[in-house]
This record gives sequence, structure tokens and C-alpha cells, in this order.
Amino acid sequence: MSEDALLHLNSIDVFYGSLQVLTGISLEVKSGEIVAIVGANGAGKTTLLKTISGVLHPARGSIEFAGEDITNLNAYEIVDRGISHVPEGRRLFPEMTVLQNLIIGSYNCHARGKRGENLARVYELFPILEERKNQLAKTLSGGQQQMVAIGRGLMANPKVIIIDEMSLGLSPLIVKELFRVLQEIKTRGITILLVEQNVWQTLHEADRAYIIETGRITLSGKAIDLIEEEEIRNAYFGA
Amino acid sequence: MEGFEIMDSLARLASPIVIGLLMGGLYVVIALGLSLVFGVMKVINVAHGDLVIFGSYLAYSVITMWGLNPLLWLLPSLPLFFILGFLIEKYLLNRAAKISADAALIIAFGLALIVQNASQIIWTPQTRSLITDFTMTTFKIGKVYIPLMYLLDFVAALVVMVVVHQFLKRTYLDQAITAASQDRQTAELMGINPSRVYQVAFGIAMALASIAGIFFGLTFSFNPTSGNALLIIAFGVIILGGLGSMAGTFIGGMIFGLSQTLGGHFFGPTGQLLVPFLMVLVVLTIRPQGLFGR
Repeated sequence: MSEDALLHLNSIDVFYGSLQVLTGISLEVKSGEIVAIVGANGAGKTTLLKTISGVLHPARGSIEFAGEDITNLNAYEIVDRGISHVPEGRRLFPEMTVLQNLIIGSYNCHARGKRGENLARVYELFPILEERKNQLAKTLSGGQQQMVAIGRGLMANPKVIIIDEMSLGLSPLIVKELFRVLQEIKTRGITILLVEQNVWQTLHEADRAYIIETGRITLSGKAIDLIEEEEIRNAYFGA
Repeated sequence: MEGFEIMDSLARLASPIVIGLLMGGLYVVIALGLSLVFGVMKVINVAHGDLVIFGSYLAYSVITMWGLNPLLWLLPSLPLFFILGFLIEKYLLNRAAKISADAALIIAFGLALIVQNASQIIWTPQTRSLITDFTMTTFKIGKVYIPLMYLLDFVAALVVMVVVHQFLKRTYLDQAITAASQDRQTAELMGINPSRVYQVAFGIAMALASIAGIFFGLTFSFNPTSGNALLIIAFGVIILGGLGSMAGTFIGGMIFGLSQTLGGHFFGPTGQLLVPFLMVLVVLTIRPQGLFGR
């Protein structure tokens, strides 16, 4: 483990009942990076993120964040430490307004004091959300809902924001806009961990990446280098 | 002469309307705890009525032993019942709820039996009431005689509603409750501990039961089985208003109280409970989610 790793996974195994989903996964995320985890549907990407944010717990291995062991903490304790998870499918509270969804993102006690400040930042990143703040979340378009989900994640005042399948089901134009915002979030000192099926674009946006196949990491390195890798071409671009 | 008779019968309506609304306040206080627990945990706490009466008996003991003013007993009684509720949720209901909603309902039913029979053993089946210097006081406005206790019941309803609302808002518990009931897993990702939310909510519901117990005991006499009737009334109130809505509970209480006194006024004593429950049936038929339900 390098000394500047903010988040460090040390060969974790995760099971659903008796079914092993992740095997010996080790990875690290350094402060200020955008790290991508890419792989096919069913490779275990979402499971990996859920294990980091405490929704699931590993059977073996450990997870360290900012020098502390968080392996067995509950999800509601982990968000308090500074890891904010934007779940797959956005999972907004449908019967709440945009503003209420954003506000509830700042429920953890470290974020409450910075609620006003973070809300202003979110509106700066996504001006449309300020216009739509009193609308019910379920009435927004998919792209706008994803903006609320990311905004809600930022309201938690995180050190690391982890985003599951941000681009799923969204138009290329909106995906491009969301990636632009991610770069802006990065410049504000927030570390980003992405999980994507959208391999090509993700590798162009990330600093480093891990390729995950059937629950194991098969390749890792600088995102730029991975683009060159023949394996990826074969596996994902059908070349 | 004709006009005078109409005026006269209208004037005679003033009393049941005023009394009905004030008594509705007592029903609101009784129903709020049941409504809160349902809104948060989706469990009908069938022990609620018995816990209210348990609150009445506890106040009875304290008053007879130490000659304390029943309203003063509210102060220590609130935290005591809160802690009791917190523990009941943590060690009984929470475990049952993990199995199924039915299991939680059965646990609540068991709790009702235990509380009712324990009250019977401790305080005997004899009917009691909480008596203090103002329980018999009545005052007169126009031609309407109003028992002071009824007015206090109504004031208590308003105060309790405002305080509970403000408490939930300031502790962010209202957000946590809404989030946890819409999507438990995502609520956890927001930093909400759903188990803790349920424990605190049940604690508050128990504190509300203790308030209800004290005010009920000051207004009417009670015995260990009175809780059954209270549960049914509280259930009627929250069905009228809409399950889990505080404003709905208030309106439900008003309608229940009014239809009780007006039913009694027009149809005699048999109408007193018949009419409110007919109202419940009508509302269930036309608007099953209750008047304020979503």
C-alpha cells in the first residue's frame, strides 16, 4: 500500500449467501484522483461499491479509509467518515422535491454545518437544479435525476464520492456534460471513484482504472495505458 | 314563535359542538402515538391503548402516594416512558420486525396482554380516576357549561402537536423518517440509521401515551381493560384522518369527538359510539386512505 492512498482495499472476498461474487480484490484510490472500475455487466462492480460504502461486508480482507479500518462499519457510519455513495439507478426519494433530496444528502452530522455552502456549490455545478428545486424528484428527466443524485452525494460533504453507473441510460450529450462536471468536482479536491460499463469514455476521463472480470481484477494501471491494451479492445470493442 | 324554536334548537347544538371539539382534543392526544408508530414503522401498535392506561395507573400511584399534582408528574413521566419505548423497540419489536411485519404485530399484541394483566394484578380491576383540585371545575360561556378538563385536553392536543412537530423538525428526525420509509437502503447511504429512527419514534410514541394516560385519567375514570376501547377509538381517529399524518390525526380527532356528541344529541346514548364509527365506515368506503392520507 502506498502511503498516500486515501482508500485501500486489501484482498477482499464478498459473498451473496454461498455465492462468491468478489475474489481477492485489492485496490487503492489516492487523494484527488479519478479512479474507474470498468467491466461487463455482472462482473461484480456494484457489489464492490456496496462493500466499500458498508451496505455489504467482506467475508475476508479489509478496507481502510484515511488510515482507519472501516471494514465492519455500517453504511450510515461510513458516510459520516467521508465516503458518499451515489447508487446505481440514482435511487432518489421519489416523493420528495429536488431540494428535499439534496438536503437529506447532508443528514450526516459532519455535513449539517456545511449545508448552505454545499448547496450553493451544487447549484453552481447544476444550475438547472436550482430552477427545479421545488419539483418532485420523480418528475425530472433521467439526466436531471442523475444530477440530483450526484448533487445529493456532494451534499454529504465527502472526501470521496463513489458513483455507480452514472451514464447508464442517458444520452451521450448529457453523459458528456456529467463528465465535465466530474472534472470540476475533482478540481475542488474531491476524489472520485467511478464504476462504468461505458468503458471507452470512462477511460478517457479517469486517471487510473481497474478492469474487473467475474469478480477479479484482471488489469490495472493508468487509464491512458489501458486504452492501448489489446485485451480491452478484444473484450469490449469487438476489434 | 317559529323562528324562536329554530334559534332555540340551534342554541342547544352549541353545547354538543363545543364539547365534541374539546373532547376530540383528548382523542387526538390518545391517537398521536399510534399514528406516529404506524407512519414510521408501518405497524399497528395494538398495545397503545393499554400503554395509555398504564400511564394513567402510574400517575394514579404517584398521586395517591405522594400527593403530587398530576400535571407535575408529566415532567418525569415523559423521559421515563421515552426510555421504556426505546427499549421495547430495541429489544422486542425490532427483532420481530426483522422476521416479518406480522411478527411485530403479534409481539405488540402480547405486550398488550402483559400490560393489561399486569395492571390488573398491580392495581386491581377496580375503576379509578385521577382526582385533583381542578378535575371537577366547570365554567360557563353563554349557555354552555364546559368542564375545565375538557378545555385542558384540547390545549394539550395543540401543545403536543406543535412540540412533536418542532422536535421532529429540529432533530432532522422527520427527514430521516420519510427517507427510511421510502427507501431504507438509500436512507442508510445518507447517514440515517433506520433502527435508531424506529427506536426514537417508538420512544416518542410512548411519551405521548404517558401524556394521553394522564389527561385521560383526569377526564374520565378507567380500569385495566379501558385500553381496549381507547385503541379502537384511536384507530378510528387515524383512519378518519389518514394513517401516519399528524394534521390528519387532528382532523380525525375533531370529527370523532363531534360525531360522538352530536350522535348522542340526536340519537341518544346509543348514537354516541355508533355515529363516529359509521363515519369511519363512510370514510373508508369513499376515501380509504383517510381524509388527509396520500
